[in-house]
Amino acid sequence: MVETKKFAMVVSEGTFDKAMMSMMMGNTAASMGLDTHIFFTFFGLRLLKKGSNPKMPGMFRFFTGMMIKKMKGMGIEAFQEQLTMAKDLGIHLYACNTSMELMGIKKEDLIDGVTILGAAAFLDIGADSDMQLFLG
Amino acid sequence: MEKNDTLDAKGLMCPMPIVKLAKKMKEMPVGAVLELIADDVGSKEDVPAWCKRTGNEIVDQRDEGNVFYFYIKKIQ
Repeated sequence: MVETKKFAMVVSEGTFDKAMMSMMMGNTAASMGLDTHIFFTFFGLRLLKKGSNPKMPGMFRFFTGMMIKKMKGMGIEAFQEQLTMAKDLGIHLYACNTSMELMGIKKEDLIDGVTILGAAAFLDIGADSDMQLFLG
Repeated sequence: MEKNDTLDAKGLMCPMPIVKLAKKMKEMPVGAVLELIADDVGSKEDVPAWCKRTGNEIVDQRDEGNVFYFYIKKIQ
């Protein structure tokens, strides 16, 4: 039996590229049997709002639709579908409580199945992990 | 190569072949062999890495031009 490894990731940006990267990396990790934990903070937190639809950064935001279409053609699902997949794969999703306060995001604005916690609680998870990544 | 099932992942780019492979293998019984067909160049490295990490075994593989065939036995 292969030992189960733990993977902790922080997502601090809410643009399309970071959003997709977090889901592709997370869903691959979970598919490889890694116990995967993702903490969404600062602008990354907005990704956990119900129906979030991240856009490419800056002027590139006008090309978001084109990117989604191109990725669909490569068999890669859009962000919301990937988020559903993440939950189905048992990925642990965390919302930063300070970012919620900062951005005026309430618990009921977030998708179901998200755990709200602070930096210390997530760092405790990170300290127990075999791999940590920061997407920001 | 003897196989129990086939997963055609042609046209899919990383990480979708791996995500679909994991899902498919979950449904298969221990000892069964899955034929995975992919044309994503990354899969040549990704599929062995997935097998190593999940404790499953590649019992055979071959390339036909730019299409890769993997035969993966479910060990656990």
